[in-house]
Amino acid sequence: MNLTSRETSTSQTAAGKSSSSNWWLLTAAIPILAAIAISIPIAFKQEAQKGFFGTRMFPLKSAYDFKLNGSNSEEVRLDQLHGKVALFIFGFTHCANVCPTSLTNLAAVYQALTPKEQKQVQFIFISVDPKRDTPKMLEQYVTSFDPRFMGLTGRKPVIDEVVQAYGASYEMVRGTTDLPNDYSVNHSAYAYLVNPSGMWELLYDNEKLADVQQMVSDIRKVLRESSLH
Amino acid sequence: MHSSFSIKVTAAVLMSASTNKQSKTLSNLTRQRRPKTAYSLFLYLSLLATLPVISRADSQLLIQIEHPWLRAVPDAMDMTAAYMILKNTGSTPAELVGGSTSIADSVAPMITTKEGQGLKQMLGMKAVDSLNIPARGTLVLEPNGNHLMVMGLKEHPKEGARVDFTIKIEPGHQEIHLQIPVSKTPVK
Repeated sequence: MNLTSRETSTSQTAAGKSSSSNWWLLTAAIPILAAIAISIPIAFKQEAQKGFFGTRMFPLKSAYDFKLNGSNSEEVRLDQLHGKVALFIFGFTHCANVCPTSLTNLAAVYQALTPKEQKQVQFIFISVDPKRDTPKMLEQYVTSFDPRFMGLTGRKPVIDEVVQAYGASYEMVRGTTDLPNDYSVNHSAYAYLVNPSGMWELLYDNEKLADVQQMVSDIRKVLRESSLH
Repeated sequence: MHSSFSIKVTAAVLMSASTNKQSKTLSNLTRQRRPKTAYSLFLYLSLLATLPVISRADSQLLIQIEHPWLRAVPDAMDMTAAYMILKNTGSTPAELVGGSTSIADSVAPMITTKEGQGLKQMLGMKAVDSLNIPARGTLVLEPNGNHLMVMGLKEHPKEGARVDFTIKIEPGHQEIHLQIPVSKTPVK
């Protein structure tokens, strides 16, 4: 009994001493640990970001293989573009401001690529408004920005799946009249870049598309990296 | 500085707007009251006239339009948008309420809306009754932002063309007539 109590008291004293000296160590360690804790995610993010202008997916996601309809109503699958960089946006042709702005910016990006690079890149406009946007109309619309752009659409459930697969959204908003075609569409205005291996690699908000040099540099980097593999 | 400017503006408007309603009302008023001397009549008139005429002068004369352009759109589209910078050099706020053009059915002020967060964020547009041009401030109409939506296109003018365009400003039912260039990209 006695022995035990003495032992206990000794160990208590030892614990008391070491905790007071540890206190200084801890005080010094807290800012260091905090700095490390903050810098690790930053370092990870920089590594994940790899110096791209667009927001890089981390980890990269396998791009959902959509099946939509082209200008002659023929089926176009994303997988058919395997080996190319595919960059697409969602929109609708009765869009007076945001969609034409994005497509004008994308045309400037595409036209800044070399002819060789252009063959390895496909820009796509996906209409979420198949009720008004027929494949023919869509073709006329997108090719007026650049003749090599592709316009795709499909039945509503098919479009909804594509939209959902890329985490996007859209909604129809009624106009001021009761006319059936008097509506506007609110929609995600991001651009999605799928690399030549079919992985969704980068995401751009619509404002970023105006920076032609940075966009071109990202596309070149994706092409370069895919040629190394 | 400011008061001398106001007086100059008032004087200019008094001289140029001799036929408007306000000066008619004023001369009726002064006839009824019969002031004693020509000097007091002049003071009385200036005092009465100063405030309303300054605000009219501001709203009539002091909106400047810079870098206007109309987006060239494919024939498949039945709408487009007009962009410009509206500068209000006056001391009273103004409102852009709309416009008109011979190439389309209607012109309406619109704002760009943002809803939701992250990937789910949606952009949209919304019609508004008017867009404010603050006193001594500017209203910027630009791609992805506020704009004048041009609906029911009857013609599709191509890049390089110019179209007649009328901007409507309140107060005062002002109309500013422009020939605006058609372009695919912003005109600086």
